[in-house]
Amino acid sequence: MKRIKILKYILIFVFCVISYKLQIARVYAQHSSLSISPPIIELIIKPGKSVLVAYKLINYGDPTVLKSKVVSFSPKDNLGGISLKEYLEGPIRFELDNANLQLNDSFFLKTRDYQQLLLRIRAPEGAPEGDYYYTLLTETQPPPTLEGVTTSKAKAVIGSNILITVTSEGNVDILGKVALFDVIPRYRLNFFGNKINLFDSNDRIPVVLVLENKGKNMIKPQGEIILSGKIGEKSKYEILPQNVLAESQRLLTTKELMKTRYSSLELSGFFIGSYKISTTINFGENSPNIYASTSFVALPFRFLIGLFIAALLTVIIVKIYKRNSEE
Amino acid sequence: MKKIVMFFFITLNFSFLTTNCVNAIDMQSSQYKIQMSNVNSGSDYMTGSGSRLSMTLGQLAAEEFKSNGYLLKAGFQYINSIIPFSFSISNTNIDIGTVLPNTPATGATTLTVSFGSSGEYQVTVGKETMLKTFTDDFIPDTECDSGYSCTISSANQWTTTSALGFGYNMSGTDITADFIDGDYFRPFSSSTSPVIIMSNSNVTLNATPTPNPNPTIPALPTGTPRDIYHESTITFKVNVDANQQAGTYQTVIDFVATPSY
Repeated sequence: MKRIKILKYILIFVFCVISYKLQIARVYAQHSSLSISPPIIELIIKPGKSVLVAYKLINYGDPTVLKSKVVSFSPKDNLGGISLKEYLEGPIRFELDNANLQLNDSFFLKTRDYQQLLLRIRAPEGAPEGDYYYTLLTETQPPPTLEGVTTSKAKAVIGSNILITVTSEGNVDILGKVALFDVIPRYRLNFFGNKINLFDSNDRIPVVLVLENKGKNMIKPQGEIILSGKIGEKSKYEILPQNVLAESQRLLTTKELMKTRYSSLELSGFFIGSYKISTTINFGENSPNIYASTSFVALPFRFLIGLFIAALLTVIIVKIYKRNSEE
Repeated sequence: MKKIVMFFFITLNFSFLTTNCVNAIDMQSSQYKIQMSNVNSGSDYMTGSGSRLSMTLGQLAAEEFKSNGYLLKAGFQYINSIIPFSFSISNTNIDIGTVLPNTPATGATTLTVSFGSSGEYQVTVGKETMLKTFTDDFIPDTECDSGYSCTISSANQWTTTSALGFGYNMSGTDITADFIDGDYFRPFSSSTSPVIIMSNSNVTLNATPTPNPNPTIPALPTGTPRDIYHESTITFKVNVDANQQAGTYQTVIDFVATPSY
């Protein structure tokens, strides 16, 4: 009898242990998820020097085979987009310092596992001064072929940008100018050769600031956009120091929150009268300030039209009423 | 009594099996969300010949390291934080199924980009080959409906069953404006000249301006932080006629996600 009791308890214990083991994690369809850090590095380097940068690549998806490589890129538009090239341009040399891994080698990564990529960046002796832009790409291997069904296999590729300035003396070429600073008006009037940007008082005012870098090195603008009204009101919006790559343009962004895709800032509120918007930009210590300004006029058109229609209707009603009472 | 004890024991055991999702450092509630928190647990050092770069995750000022002939900065300097850039594809094997003549078949997958609050990124798409069999019979790229031609960078209507080909539609956040609704498709470009399908140039937050009671001073934009996940769905569509060679048609589509500079 005692034996049966003990056996019973053992059975319960085994049952409980097995039930723990049966607990399973959520399962998804073949899932690819990669994360890389840092997402960008900026390096100013002398010819003949090298630097080692440690990237952390994490696989949050299904176990997969990965491959890393470095390619060149160029700016694509003035919104910070990039155009990747299929090869490596320029004098900079890249290699992995990992003991058992080289660039373009395949490696396996389990779910939630990570690989540290020790990327050595070398500017050889005699490397021409200037800027060179690269992207470290890591790609997954597409899933195996399925027989009998039409399928599209997806390959996930994740990148991290590398901006390199080669300089012997540490001098960089700063040649920035404001390519465009204006508002996108609802109406634009030409009044004796002067352009007047007109808005309704309740309109949002999109402000566009495009900076052009004519130099051979990337620049990082700092500054602000200032809105001032006729009665002394003033608002300041700080410009984000985003990189403007060599010989390219970029739509600058302010730290303020609201903006559309093609504007640097979107002012909102109730505006009435004439307003001036100005910007002052510099590129770090001892660099000259550059300045641009524009203006706009805001009037309560919708309110005035509504008032006019209401007045007109009132007059008509009064006239009809008078005519009726005379008859 | 013993039965009750045993029942209690087993019930207790099963209660332990119910687990909740646990996030490592989840700094949010219904009241707040910290997007750029000071989390120093990920601090690390990078070393080079005669150089050492201190990296600190979080809002602490990103340490710049200057040594003999170098200046190296990691992460976006205006955010002073090293936010990992993440990209996910929910399903890498997009099953379009068995395609019948003049009966459009579709398959979809979800693309997700996570970039903390730094925001600026792009995702491009390109096909490595035509949608083809091992014997090189292929399904041509869609040209959309007759009179509504589409190109690799401009979507247009594709609703008729007589319009044949292989193409894709996008829906969700940060997609290009030409995907007006689920009937708008583009053909795939080649992977050597990919096109942008998702992008965002907003940095930090996206908020609604607070209504301002004062009519003379413009309202300061304030509001709630932007969601840190950017998610869209790509739907593949195939339509063939009775002349299409029977077989298993396959291709590889490259999705390349890169942060901005």
